[in-house]
Amino acid sequence: MSTELPLLKIETVDKAFGGIQALSDITFALNPGSITGLIGPNGAGKTTLFNLISGVFPADKGEIIFNGAGIENIKSHQLVELGIARTFQNVELFESMTVLENILVGQHTRTRCGIWGSILRFPGVIAEEKKAREFALELLDFVGLKGHADKTSGDLPFGWQRLLEIARALASRPKLLLLDEPAAGLNIVETMQLGDLIRKIRNQGITVLLVEHDMSLTMEISDWIVVLDQGKKIAQGSPRTVQADEAVIAAYLGTAGKKE
Amino acid sequence: MNNHQTRNRICYTVFLLIILLVGYFLENLYYIQVLTFIGINTLLALALNMLMGYAGQISLGHAAFYGIGAYGTAILTVHYGFSPWLALPAAILSAMIVAYIVGIPTLKLSGYYLGMGTLGFGMIVNILFREWSSVTGGASGFIGIPALELGPISFASGRNYFFLVWGFVLIGFIACQRIIDSRIGRALRAIHDGENAAAAVGVDTRQLKLQIFVLSAAISALAGFLYAHLVYFISPGSFSFIASIRMVTMVVIGGMASIWGALLGASLLTLLPEWLHAFSEFEMVVYGLILMVVMIFLPRGLTRGLLDIYERTRKKNEH
Repeated sequence: MSTELPLLKIETVDKAFGGIQALSDITFALNPGSITGLIGPNGAGKTTLFNLISGVFPADKGEIIFNGAGIENIKSHQLVELGIARTFQNVELFESMTVLENILVGQHTRTRCGIWGSILRFPGVIAEEKKAREFALELLDFVGLKGHADKTSGDLPFGWQRLLEIARALASRPKLLLLDEPAAGLNIVETMQLGDLIRKIRNQGITVLLVEHDMSLTMEISDWIVVLDQGKKIAQGSPRTVQADEAVIAAYLGTAGKKE
Repeated sequence: MNNHQTRNRICYTVFLLIILLVGYFLENLYYIQVLTFIGINTLLALALNMLMGYAGQISLGHAAFYGIGAYGTAILTVHYGFSPWLALPAAILSAMIVAYIVGIPTLKLSGYYLGMGTLGFGMIVNILFREWSSVTGGASGFIGIPALELGPISFASGRNYFFLVWGFVLIGFIACQRIIDSRIGRALRAIHDGENAAAAVGVDTRQLKLQIFVLSAAISALAGFLYAHLVYFISPGSFSFIASIRMVTMVVIGGMASIWGALLGASLLTLLPEWLHAFSEFEMVVYGLILMVVMIFLPRGLTRGLLDIYERTRKKNEH
């Protein structure tokens, strides 16, 4: 299975902001159905790379290939349609809306009803709405928020908001799920549950790219690790090999490495 | 969800009954006329509330679409001899086309800049009404707009016009409620809560904002049509910057993101000047004061404010 084409390929990508080279010459690939952890110290360029993949801004150079096609010039909302979903570092829910409605918005690209359809309520529209609600409830159950469908999402405790945001991303039936520091702000128990959930997502055949500061979580659940430091890729491999890598240890602990 | 739908159905049935009862049993034709104006203003507030309250996009130039509806039907019926019922879709379509063309560049703006952009647009259209005298009658206005007739029914009488206007209000309410409860409405509210997050879940925010802008223009033009055939005479002053601001005020006072807020806001802003005649030259002072007090004590608008007060008194009574 792992010899088939990678789901996402990053090739020699560069990105600069003003005079600062945020990313230079980054290349790696994600195998379908794997969990890849993207790690690195603060300012390594993880979030920049994440934003490039999710279409927030374009790369200066290089290619990002998803499912065999270049996605450099595709807007965020179209990426969702292609099968890339993301969550945010600071959790960006639609706070005035209910838990269920958040997941329903997540299905926006997988449903069709327009303005006329909603006014005239064709039978197809009602059937679509019913199916969307059923799937939303299934997803709530999947992430462990069963029974909270009608709560206002902004009133949920923070840990649940994270789970809801993941459910909302899954609602678009993605092939690739980008998680931006999903464990930030969670306690130990919540982080463990999150790890289980991410594995469960992978077991559904969804490829996961994880940007994370929590080392123990990343090392425990990832099949593959990519390490960035100061905009460059300094290592990649299985969690075990990366943990033993000298350059990685140097980047994290700041020992006098051979940086030049 | 089902609860929500049942409650809505009850609300709209009661609303229809009230319209029928008032229309048949209210003797005083002057009140019928005032209520008809409230209906037209409710349509305007509803139109702008879809854009401001739900999609979170401000427009300070919406009187332009109201004016396009009114002038559109006036020009087509008087200059070209159209039947008003043909002029209605034509006027609405013109407003929609203008909204589409103006919306593409303008809706890329946000916040204050969107306000300024739409303000400028409203002023340009108003100058057009004022200066293009050969077509619009210029500053002195447009006279001789025909009364509406449908077969044997004449809408020249206040009572029939009342039913016509409030019929449109009821249809507008139900249509907008259905949009809000649908996939489109959820995406709109999502844009309001966070535009980036909405794009990140696959909502084409630019296209959706444009669609709602066009829809809002269409409802405003409908209100303009109804206004023109009610008063038979229109002039640029009714569609000026002040009219746009009045629309915004109706939405804010009534309550953003609330269908019934449109009704409350439009009622208050139509009735206040009527009640305040007693203050003669101090009328505008009292008017402004009342609006200030409402905003200070009910900052989320009349609908939410009154609901909150109701909840609080109920809780107090339980204890």
